[in-house]
Amino acid sequence: MSLEAPDTTETDEVPERTPDELEALLGDLVIDRDDHLNAPGFVIRPDAVQETLSRLKSEAGYDHLSLVTAQEYENRYESIYHLKKFDDPTQEVSVVVPADKDDPVSESGDAVFRTADWHEREAYDLIGIEYDDHPDLRRILLPETWQGHPLSMDYDKDRPQIATLPEHANPLEDHHHDSESDTMFLNIGPHHPATHGVLHLKTILDGEQVIDVEPDIGYLHRCEEQMAQSGTYRHQIMPYPDRWDYISAGLLNEWAYARAAEDLADIEVPEYAQVIRTMGAEMCRIAAHMLALATFALDVNGDFTATFMYAINDRERVQDLLEDLTGQRLMFNYFRLGGVVWDLPEPRGEFFSKTRDFLDQLPGSVEEYHDLVTANEIFQMRTIDTGILPPEVAKNYGATGPVARGSGVDYDLRRDDPYGYYDELEWDVVTEDGCDNYSRLLVRMREVEESAKIIEQCIDLLEDWPEEERNIQANVPRTLRPDDDTEIYRAVEAAKGELGIYMRADGTDKPARFKIRSPCFSNLQTLPEMANGEYIPDVIAALGSLDIVLGEVDR
Amino acid sequence: MGTVQLFPEFISETLGLSGVLGDVVGSLVAAAVVGNIVLAFTGVAGPWAKRKITAAFTDRIAVNRIGPFGLLIIPAAAVQLLAKELIVPEGVDRPTWDLAPIVLPASALLGFSVIPMGRLGPVNLQIADPEVGLALVFAFASIASVSLVMAGYASNNKYSMLGGLRAVAQNLAYEIPLIVTAMSVVIFAGTLQMSGIVAAQTDVLFSVGGFDVPTWYAFVNPFAFVLFLTANMAEIGRNPFDIPEAPTEIVAGYQTEYSSAYFVLFYLGEFVHVFLGGAILAVTFLGGASGPGPESIGFLWFVVKIWGFFLFTQWARSALPRVRIDQLIEIGWKGMLVLSFANLVLTAVIVGVIA
Repeated sequence: MSLEAPDTTETDEVPERTPDELEALLGDLVIDRDDHLNAPGFVIRPDAVQETLSRLKSEAGYDHLSLVTAQEYENRYESIYHLKKFDDPTQEVSVVVPADKDDPVSESGDAVFRTADWHEREAYDLIGIEYDDHPDLRRILLPETWQGHPLSMDYDKDRPQIATLPEHANPLEDHHHDSESDTMFLNIGPHHPATHGVLHLKTILDGEQVIDVEPDIGYLHRCEEQMAQSGTYRHQIMPYPDRWDYISAGLLNEWAYARAAEDLADIEVPEYAQVIRTMGAEMCRIAAHMLALATFALDVNGDFTATFMYAINDRERVQDLLEDLTGQRLMFNYFRLGGVVWDLPEPRGEFFSKTRDFLDQLPGSVEEYHDLVTANEIFQMRTIDTGILPPEVAKNYGATGPVARGSGVDYDLRRDDPYGYYDELEWDVVTEDGCDNYSRLLVRMREVEESAKIIEQCIDLLEDWPEEERNIQANVPRTLRPDDDTEIYRAVEAAKGELGIYMRADGTDKPARFKIRSPCFSNLQTLPEMANGEYIPDVIAALGSLDIVLGEVDR
Repeated sequence: MGTVQLFPEFISETLGLSGVLGDVVGSLVAAAVVGNIVLAFTGVAGPWAKRKITAAFTDRIAVNRIGPFGLLIIPAAAVQLLAKELIVPEGVDRPTWDLAPIVLPASALLGFSVIPMGRLGPVNLQIADPEVGLALVFAFASIASVSLVMAGYASNNKYSMLGGLRAVAQNLAYEIPLIVTAMSVVIFAGTLQMSGIVAAQTDVLFSVGGFDVPTWYAFVNPFAFVLFLTANMAEIGRNPFDIPEAPTEIVAGYQTEYSSAYFVLFYLGEFVHVFLGGAILAVTFLGGASGPGPESIGFLWFVVKIWGFFLFTQWARSALPRVRIDQLIEIGWKGMLVLSFANLVLTAVIVGVIA
C-alpha cells in the first residue's frame, strides 16, 4: 500500500465547506469574524473552545490542530487555534479566542486535541494566558521560578531574574514519599549520551520498564520568536530560521519564513529561483535524514559504528554541494524574500557534474545502509514493534513529517499544499504502515531517494534554462510594510515535519507577532505515548526515531 | 604431556634455585612475566589498536600524529589518564567502591595463570597446569561479574545500579551455556587439564591437497564453536552484548562514576577479560599454541589467535546493534541453554558410540 503513487484525486474529494457554512455549523458559538490571509477566522467566547473545536473536528473534519498562537493586544489577550485537515491541509480555519485583559482565562483545547497541551503551556509561559481545564498548566520553556511572562506587554525585561538553586523544584521530591511502590525515578538528561542535545526526560521505572516518561524542555530556548519580532521583514529575520533546526536543514527553515512573508507581502517569486530553492531544500533534506540515520544507528547500536560514519560521510557530500551553492555549511542565509541571494556557482557545469556524481553514488550508499542496518536481524529485533505510535494518536498530537508518515498518515505539505516547484516534478510521498521505530527510519531512508529524484529533475531544468531568463530575485521594495492587522499562517514541509510561521503585521516594517510552529515540538510530545510500558532501550530508540533537534523544540 | 617443563620450574632451574625458595621465586617471576605480557597487550589494544581497528571499519584514519603509526599515543594516553583527578562521589560505599576496580583486572589476570600460552624458544609459557585447569579458568573469569555488581551497587548512582543488575542477569544467562559447551570439549579430550586439551587437538583431521587440517575442536565440532563464541561475547560483555555498559542507554553502566586511575583499572580489566576470553577460546577450540612451523614459535601463534579474537570483538562492535536486555535473557535461557545441552548430549553420544 505504501508503495502506491500518491492519489491526488482522492485529496481533491475532501468536502470543503465555505466559511459561511462553517459559521452556520458553529451557530451561536461565533461572536465575530476575524479572517486571516490563509483561512477564515471565527471569534468565539473563551468558555466555548472545546465545543467549537470538537464540532469542527468531528463534523467538519478539521482533524489537525497545527498550532496555538497566543498574543496580547492593547485591549485583550488572544489565542488562535490554527486548524487544518490531514487529508487536505489547504482547507484551514482559525479559531480566535479573545480573553479578558485583566483576567486572561480561556478554556483549554486539550480535551479535543492532545497537542494543545504543550502549545497552551507555552502560551501560558510566554504570554500569560491561563487555560481552564488544562491537565497540567506549568511553565514549559522557562524555569519554573521565572517571574512574569516575557512576551506580554507589561513585562519588565530589565528586572533581573535571580533564582538560587534551592528554589528550583527538585524532580525527585514527588517520587520519594511513595515507599509502597517498587518504582524508581530516573533523570535521563539534560546531559546524557542519547538525548541529542539538552533534553531532560523524567522517567519512572519499574525495573527496566518505563512506567512514565515526561520530557522537560526549554534548555535551549533562545527567544527566537522575540528576536524575529524585533527584526525587519526584508532582511533581518532570514538568518534566524537557520538556527532552529540547525542540523543542516537550514534552507527548509528559511523557506518557511520566506513562504509566509511572501504571501503576507504578496511577492511573486521567479520560477527559476523556485527551482533553485526546491533543489537546495531537498539537498538539506538528504543531509538532515542522513544525520537522523546516523544518530539512530548510534542509539540502537549503542556504540560508535560504521553506519554512523558512513552516513556522516554521505551527509558531508551534500554539505559540500550546499557550500558550493550558498557559500556556507550550516547557517546558509541563502533565501531572500522574492528569490535567492545569488545564482548557481560558476562554472555551472562543474556544479552540475558534482551534483550528478553525488546522485549517482547515492543509490549504492542507500543499498549499503539497507545491508548494514535495516536488513540486520538484531536491528529488526530491536526496532520492529517497539515505540508504537498508532495513526490516530499521531494525528491527535499533531505529529507530522516522517513520524506521521511512519504511522501511515499520508501527509506531506510538498504535495498537499504545494509550494515552490514541487507540483511540477515527478516524485512520491513515502509512507509506511508499521507505526514503529523501524517504519520511521525506513520512511527517512526512502525519502532520501525521493529527494534525489527531485534534485535530479531540478538540475536537468536548471541546466537547460535559457541564460537571459535566469531571474533569481523578484522586485521587492526596500522596506516592507504589510497592511495593519493582516495575519497569516503558512507552513512548509521541513525535514522533521510541518514547519509553520504565523505572523501578524501592524503596519510597521517588523512583525507584531511572530510565532513558529516547530514540528519537533509537536513530535516530541508523542514520546510518552510510545515509551510507556517499554524498556529503557526502546525509549532511547523511540526518542532517536523521532529525530528531534532541541534548537527547534525550544526555539 | 605432563613431561613438559612449566614456566616457574624453568626459571628456578635457570637461576639454580630449588625447594620452597625456588618455587616462590619461580612462581613470582613467571607470574610477573606473564602478567606483563598480558598487560602489554592491553596497553597496545586500549589506546591504540582499538582506535585503529575501529577507524579501519568506519573509514577513518585515527591516531597518527605522535610516533610511528601514532604508537606513542600509548604512553601519552597513560600519562593523561593517570593525571586525571580521581573524583569520589558523595555517598559511595567504600571500601567496596575502591575494591571493585581492582577485582576486575585481578580476576581476569588470574585466569591467565593456567593458560598454556605455548613455547617461545626453550620457554613454555604456562604458570600452572592443574588437572582442573578448565574449571579453574572459568571460575576466575566469573569473579569479574562480582566486581561489576560491587561497582554498580557501591556507586550510589541509578545508572550504575542498573548496569550492575544487568551484569548479573547477563552472566547468569550466559555462564551456563558457556560452561556446558566447554564440557563437550572435555568429553572429546577426556581431561580438564589445559595442556591435555591442547594436546588432544594436534592430530590430523583430514588432508586437503597436502595441507593437514588439525583436529582443532572448531573443525571437529563447528556448532559448539559458534555456540561458545557467542556465549563468550556475552560473558565478556562485548557487542552485541555490551548491555552492562550500554553507553547510549545507561550512560556507562557500572563504571559511570569512576574516573582517573579507577577508570583505567576498569578499562584495563575489560581488555584483559577480552584477551582471556580469546585465550580460553584458543585453548578449547583453536588448538592452543599449535600452528605451522616449529613448536618453539607456538607462543606467536597463540598471540595471533587471541588478537584475532580481539579483532573479532571490534568488528562486532562496529557492525552489530546491541540486543535489548530482555531479548538477551531470552536468547540465553531459551536458546543457548537448550542448544548447549543438545550439543553436549550429541557429543556424548558420538564420543560414546563412535570413538
